Amino acid sequence: MFLIDRRQMLTLAAWSAATTKAWAQSPMHPQERALYEAAKREGEVTWYTGQYSAEPSEAAGRAFTARYPGVRCNVVRTTSQVAFQRLSQDARAGVGQCDVFSSTNGGHYIQLKRQNRLMQFRPVNADGLLPILRVSDPDNYFQSSFIGIYLMAHNTRLVSETEAPKSWTDILDARWKDKLAVGHPGFSGAIGLWALQMRRMFGPDYLVRFERNKPQVGRSSIDPVTMMTAGERAVGVAVPSATTLTSISRGNPLRLIYPTEGVIAALSPSAIPNNAPHPNAAKLFMEFTTGPGLSTAVRTLFNESLRPEVPPPDGSRPLDQVTMLAPSMEEAERGVPEVREVWRELFGV
Amino acid sequence: MCRRSARSGANSLAFEDIGMSQGGAAAPALRPSRFRLLEPAMLLWVALIAALLVLVAAPLVKMLLISFEMQETGEFTFQNYLTAYGRARYLDALRNSLLLGLLSATISTVIAVPMAWAVSRTDMPGKGFTWAVVLAAFVMPPYLGAIGWILLAGPNSGWINVVWRAVTGATEPLVNIYTFTGMAFVIAMHSFPLVFIFVKSALDLISSEMEDAANILGAGTWVTMRKVTLPLVWPSILGGFILIFLETIALFGTPAIIGIPARINVVTTQLWQFFEDPVRVEVAAAFAIPLLLITIALIAVQKLMLNRKGFVSQTGKGGERREVKLGPWRWVLLGWCVSVALLSVGKPLIVLLQASFAKAWGRGFSLDNLTLRNYRFLLFEHDQAPQAVWNTLWFSAASATMAIILALLVAYIVVRKLMRFAGALGFLAMAPFVIPGIVLAIGFYAAYAGPPMSLYGSALLLILAFTARFLPIAYASSQAAIRAVHPEMEEAARILGSGRLHAIRKITAPLIKSSLLGGWLVVFIVASRELSAAIFLVGPRTRTMSVLLYDLTEQGNFEVVSAFGGILLFITMVIVGIGMKLVGRDFMLRRE
Repeated sequence: MFLIDRRQMLTLAAWSAATTKAWAQSPMHPQERALYEAAKREGEVTWYTGQYSAEPSEAAGRAFTARYPGVRCNVVRTTSQVAFQRLSQDARAGVGQCDVFSSTNGGHYIQLKRQNRLMQFRPVNADGLLPILRVSDPDNYFQSSFIGIYLMAHNTRLVSETEAPKSWTDILDARWKDKLAVGHPGFSGAIGLWALQMRRMFGPDYLVRFERNKPQVGRSSIDPVTMMTAGERAVGVAVPSATTLTSISRGNPLRLIYPTEGVIAALSPSAIPNNAPHPNAAKLFMEFTTGPGLSTAVRTLFNESLRPEVPPPDGSRPLDQVTMLAPSMEEAERGVPEVREVWRELFGV
Repeated sequence: MCRRSARSGANSLAFEDIGMSQGGAAAPALRPSRFRLLEPAMLLWVALIAALLVLVAAPLVKMLLISFEMQETGEFTFQNYLTAYGRARYLDALRNSLLLGLLSATISTVIAVPMAWAVSRTDMPGKGFTWAVVLAAFVMPPYLGAIGWILLAGPNSGWINVVWRAVTGATEPLVNIYTFTGMAFVIAMHSFPLVFIFVKSALDLISSEMEDAANILGAGTWVTMRKVTLPLVWPSILGGFILIFLETIALFGTPAIIGIPARINVVTTQLWQFFEDPVRVEVAAAFAIPLLLITIALIAVQKLMLNRKGFVSQTGKGGERREVKLGPWRWVLLGWCVSVALLSVGKPLIVLLQASFAKAWGRGFSLDNLTLRNYRFLLFEHDQAPQAVWNTLWFSAASATMAIILALLVAYIVVRKLMRFAGALGFLAMAPFVIPGIVLAIGFYAAYAGPPMSLYGSALLLILAFTARFLPIAYASSQAAIRAVHPEMEEAARILGSGRLHAIRKITAPLIKSSLLGGWLVVFIVASRELSAAIFLVGPRTRTMSVLLYDLTEQGNFEVVSAFGGILLFITMVIVGIGMKLVGRDFMLRRE
C-alpha cells in the first residue's frame, strides 16, 4: 500500500533536487553568515552520528557541504552506542575529535551535560522547528535533530497481513518462535529505548518471554530490515520506519505494522562536545540540522521532517495520528545501560 | 617469565616451523675488532633498540601495569581481575574463545595437511590451481568470507539452504552459519593457508630415501605417509595449528558478524564491551593478560611434545625427491582440493559479487535485480569510503616499509652477530608473533592513546600498531634473505675500503631485493585487511577500509558491504598481481 511508482519517485526526486538547490542558495541569516565565515577557517566538521542510517547521513553531509562550500563534513556513522563509545574513548585518551555528537539515546546527553562535557549553543533555526522539538534542553546544551519512528514490519511473502502481529505483546506468542529479528541494545540506542519501554509497560517478564522466541539478534535496529528482505526472518521488531520505507520503495515485499499500543518515538538531539576541535563549524552544523537543510535532505529517504514547512515523508502515518511512546531522557540515562546488562545476561551476547 | 617463554615460542614457531633451520653455527666469540669497525653504526643500533621498545615492549608493559591500577586514582589493586573474571558470562567468553580456537585450528589442519602432502609429494594434477586457491583464501579477509557465508548458509535465506529445500523438499536447513561450528568453519576457511604453507615447506625438505626405506620394509604408500612422512613434519603441523589457534582467539570481525546473531560471546567481543562507557581499559587489560598466559602455555606444551624426538630430515647429504605415484587416488585428492576451493573461495566470492551488483540480494540472479547503485554510493556519494581506501593504502604501505626496514636491520645484526645480545633484538622482533593482535591494540591504546603522546586517532598510531603487529613476518623474510648472502661478498667490498653501511647498500641490498619486496608485499596485504587492532585505534579521519566495512555491516546492508568488499579485493588483487610480476608467482608463500 505504501509502494510508490516510478513516476512518483521521479517527481519526488525532482522536488527534492529543486528544494535542495533553492535551499542551498537561499540567503543566510546573520548568525549563520558569521559562523560560516569562522567555519571556513576551520575547514571541516566531524559528525559522530547514530541517528540517520548510512545513506541519509551521507546525504545530509553532502547537503551541508553544498550549502557551505569550504567546510567539509566528515560523516562518522555507526550505531548510537558505538558512537558514544568512540566519544568515551576520545575522552579517556583526552583527545577531542568529535564536533557534533548525534545519538538516538537521549540518555547520553543527560550524562554528558551532567559531566560538563557539552558546549552551550542555541541555533537561530531552532525556533522554526516543530513545536514539540523547539526546546530539547532548556539550558541549550543540546538541540533536536532527529525524529525516529520504531515499529514493526513483516515480509508479506512469508506472513500475510491478517496473520501479522498487531501489538508489541503479540510477538511473545510461541507462534513467532524463530521468526523474529531485532537489533541489540549494546549497539543501537533505539533498541535500548525500545527494550526499556517494553519493560516499563509490560514488566521485566517481557524480555524473558521475548528471548524464548529466539529472535535473531543483529546490531543496528536497521539490521532486521535486511533479514526480512532476504527472507531470513518474517517479522522485524523495533525497526525504523525510514529504512523500511526506503526498502519498500526499492521493490522489497515489506509492510509496516503500527503496533496498537503505539510506536517508539526517539525525539533525539545533537550536541557539541566542549573539546570540539572545530567549534564554529560545529555551531554552523547545528544551524544546519535545525534548519530546513537537514529535513530536506533526509526526507527523500523517508525520514521524518523536523520542520513544519518541509512535508513529512511519503508512506508513513502523520505524526499526529500515532501514539508516540518513549522513556524520558532522564530515564534513559540510567535505564538503557541497565536494560543492556539484563539483555546480555538473557541473550548471552 | 612471560618474556622467557614467549621467547622460546618465537624461536620454535619462527625457525623450526616456517622451515628454517635453527640457529646456524654456534656464535664465534666477539672480537673487539668487529666492535671497533661498527662505530658509525652505533647510533643506528641504539635507535633500533628504542624502536623495538616503543613498538613491542612498552605497550605490553604498560598493559600489564594498568591491569593492576585503579581507574582514575592509579592505586595498586587486584579489583580489575575480579571484575574481569567475576561473571559467568565473561568466563563463558573465555571458554568459547578457547574452544573456537581449537576447533578452527583442527578444521584447518584437516583441510590443509592432505593438500600440502598432495602438492609437495605426489603426482596429483592441478598443483598450480591448488596454489592459487591457497593464495586466494589467504588474500580474502576473514570478515568478508563471513559475510559471504551468511549469504550462503543463513538457515532460511542462504543459497545452499534455498537450493537444498527446492531439491529435497525438506523444511529444515541443511547448514546453519549461525552456530559454533559454523563460525569455526568460516574462520578455518581463511586460516588453513598457514598450515598449508608450514607443512608444505617442511615436506619439501624430506628426501624420498626415508619413504623408500619404509617401502622396502613392506609398507604401502598410505602406511608410509602415516607412519613416516607425516610424523617427520609433526613440528610444522603443530606450529601451524598453534598459529591458527592464536589468530582465531584474537579475531574480532567474524565473531561480531556471526557470533552476535549466533549468540556466542568470545573474548574479543567481550573486550569491546569493556570499552563501552565508562571506558575500562584497566579491566580490558586484566581480561587480556590470560590470553598471553595461554599463548605462553601453548608454546611450552609444544616444546614438551617435540622434546627429545628427532625430526631431522635435512642431513646435508643430498638425496633425491620423487613424486609418489597415486594412481586413481590422485583424482580423489584433486577432488578434495577442488572442494576446498569451492568452499573457501569460489562460493563466497560468487555470492558476494552477486550481492554487490544486486538491488536486494535475496531476489537472486536476475537482470531486473542488477544495479551499480552500491558501487556508486561508495565511490561517489560516501564521504569516507574514498578516504578509507586511501588510508588503507598508505597506512599499509608505510607500515610495510617501516617493518621491512626495521626487520632488515635487526636481522642483519642478528645473523652477522655484530652485537652482544643481538639475540634479544631478534626476540623482540619476533615477539608480536605470539601476541594476539587485539592484546597488542589494547597495549597501544593504554600506552600511546592518551597523554603524554596523545596519539589517539592519528595515522601514526595505526601505522605503529600495524608495524609492530606484522614485524615478525618482515623479520622472518629478512632473516632468511640475509642468511642466503655469504658475508664474504661484503667483506670483499670492505677490504677494498667500503664502510659497512655502504657495503650493505651496494652489495647486500641488491642481492636480497626481491625477497624483501616479497616480504613487503605480504605485510602490505595483511595490514590492508587488519581489523582487530584497528577497531580500537581508529579516529574519524583514520578509518581504514576494514573498519568502515565493519561499521557498514552493523546495518546488515550486505549489498553495500559486498560492493566495498569487492573494491577491497580488487585493490588487493592488483597488488598481488604487481607482486607476482616483480617477484614471481609464489612470493607470498616462499620461505628461504
